[in-house]
Amino acid sequence: MSGIVFENVSKYYGEITAVKGLSLSVQEGERLILLGPSGCGKTTTLRMVAGLEKITSGILKMGGHIMNMVEPGARNIAMVFQNYALYPHMTVWENITFGLSIRKVPNGEIKARAEKALEILNLSGYEQRKPHELSGGQKQRVALGRSLVKQAPYFLLDEPLSNLDAQLRLQARTELVKIHELYRPTLMYVTHDQIEAMSVGQRIAVMNQGILQQLDTPDIIYQYPANTFVASFIGAPPMNLLQGRLCDGNLRIAGCDIKPPAEWRNLLASHSELWVGIRPEHCRLSDNSLLRGRVEFTELLGSQRCVHVRLQGDELVLCVFPA
Amino acid sequence: MKISGIRGWHWHVVLCGAVLIQLWPLLFMLSTSFKTMDEIFQSTLNPIPAVPVMNNYLYVLKNFPLVQYIFNTLFIAGIIAASKIITSILAAFAFVYYEFSHKEKLFNALLLTFFIPITVVMLPNYLLLSRLGVLNTPWGVILPQLADAMGIFLIRQAMRAIPRPLIEAGKLENAGAWVMLTRIILPLIKPSVIAMGIVFFINSWNDYFWPLLVLQDKSRYTLPLALQMFISAEGGSEWGTAMAVAVLTSLPPLLLYLSCQRFIIHTFMQSGVKG
Repeated sequence: MSGIVFENVSKYYGEITAVKGLSLSVQEGERLILLGPSGCGKTTTLRMVAGLEKITSGILKMGGHIMNMVEPGARNIAMVFQNYALYPHMTVWENITFGLSIRKVPNGEIKARAEKALEILNLSGYEQRKPHELSGGQKQRVALGRSLVKQAPYFLLDEPLSNLDAQLRLQARTELVKIHELYRPTLMYVTHDQIEAMSVGQRIAVMNQGILQQLDTPDIIYQYPANTFVASFIGAPPMNLLQGRLCDGNLRIAGCDIKPPAEWRNLLASHSELWVGIRPEHCRLSDNSLLRGRVEFTELLGSQRCVHVRLQGDELVLCVFPA
Repeated sequence: MKISGIRGWHWHVVLCGAVLIQLWPLLFMLSTSFKTMDEIFQSTLNPIPAVPVMNNYLYVLKNFPLVQYIFNTLFIAGIIAASKIITSILAAFAFVYYEFSHKEKLFNALLLTFFIPITVVMLPNYLLLSRLGVLNTPWGVILPQLADAMGIFLIRQAMRAIPRPLIEAGKLENAGAWVMLTRIILPLIKPSVIAMGIVFFINSWNDYFWPLLVLQDKSRYTLPLALQMFISAEGGSEWGTAMAVAVLTSLPPLLLYLSCQRFIIHTFMQSGVKG
C-alpha cells in the first residue's frame, strides 16, 4: 500500500495559482510522469508530495495516510533534484551514505547498500571523488544512487535528465526504467520532455496552468488527446489543428469541403465549428488530395522529413518517410 | 575590472599614492624599531636605518613581560572572536532557515545597531560590568563583545547563497537542525566563517579603548595598552622600544590576515559589502 492520492489539491502563492483542484492517484509501484510546459505546476505538485511545499487546500494521501502536515523527513521519500543537489564538500561515498548515516542505519548495512548501488550505477571506483570531479552523467547517477540506497517506497524525480546531453539522456532513460523494474517503488517523474515522458512513463499526467489536462497511458494520450492543449503538446512535430466548419453536411477545412466519416455524425450534429486534429505522420502528399496547398519548406529529421505546407489560411505539417 | 590606457595610468598613480599613505606608518614603525635613539631624532623621516640595530628588540624581550601581554591579548581576542562567530552562526541560521513572527523587523533592528557609536553604550556597559564585579578582569572586556551584528549579517548572506536543493535534500533525509548546520551548512560556508573569525580576532587584538576603560592592573593589560606605557605624554618617550613592541604586536594579526586574505575578500565580495 504505497500509492499516492491527490484529492482536490490546490496550491496558491498569494494571488498566483500554481496547482488547481488536482485529483489523481498513483498506483503502488507505478511510474507516473508529470508532463507539461514550464510553469504548469508539475514541479510544485512533486514538491507537495515531498513536503517541500505546503498544500493550500485538499488532501494528499500516501500509503493510505493523510500527509498534509507530515514533515518531509518523515515521509520516507527519495528525491532526485534537477541539479542533483550533491554536497560539494562530500565524496561520492559520503553523498550516497549521508542519509543512511543520519538515520543511524548500521555501518555494515550502509556499506552493503552503497556498494550495491555503486555497482548498479557503474560508479565503482569513483567513491572518493568529489562532485566537481565528475561528469554530468556521473553526477546524475550519484544523485540516483543516493536515492536508491534509501530503499524508500516513493521515488520522486524532478527533471533528472535535463542537464544531460541527448545521447546520455537516452542511455539514462533506459537505466532509470531498469532500476525501477528492479525495486519497483512508486515513482513520480517531472519532465517537460514528451519523449522522455512517453518512454519512461506507464501513465502520463499532462498539466497546463496548474490544471490536470489528461491522465492516461502514453499510447492513449497520443492517440486520443483529451483537448487541443494535449493534442498540440504531445508529438513532435505536434498535431496539426485545423479549424473546421459544417457546411451543407460537409466539413469545410482550409477552404475545402470534405465529406466527414460516418462515425463523426453524432459529433457534428452538436457542433457547427470544431478543431480537426491530424497527426503529421497520418498525412501524405498526393496530387489527388482535396486539400490543396503549397509546400513552403522541408526539414530532414533523420528517418523522416517534415514538410510544411501552406493551406488556405492554415499551415499543415506532415511527415514523409523517404524510401 | 581592468584599468588600461592613459586614464588607467593616472589611476595607477593615484592608487600607488593611496597605498604609500597606508604603508607609510607601517614602514615608519618598522624602520624606527631598528634605529638607535640618536638616529631616530637625527633622521626621523628616513625610512632606512643607517645601521640597523636589534637593541630595541633585545631590550623588549629582556625587560618587558611580552609573553604575559601576548597571553592576555590572545585570551581576550580568542574568546571574543570565537563567541562572535558562534553567536553569528546561530543567529544567522535562525534568520535564514526559521520562520517566526517579526523576523524581518528583528533583523532590521539588528542592522540598526551598526550605527550606534561605542560612546553611547560605553557608560551603561561600564555600570553593568561594575555591578557584576568584573571590572579589571578579562571578562569585563569580553562580556559586552560576545555578539556582533555585522557578523550575523555577513554569515546570513553566506547562508542565503547556499542553493536551496542542498538544504531540501537534507530535510528529506530527516536531518535535524544540528546535523543540517554542522554537516551541510558550515562546510559550505567555511571560507566565510574563517574570514569572519579572522576579522573579529584582529579587531579584538587591536582594540584599545574598551580595554583601557576596564583594565587598570598593568599585569592584565593587552598589547595595545602595554604599548602605551612606552609613550610618555610629558616627552622622553622610548620611541625605538615602543616601535619594537608595536611591530611585535602587529605581527600576529598581520600574518593571520595575509595567510587568509582570499577568504576575507571573498566574504565581503559575496555580501556585496565593500570592506
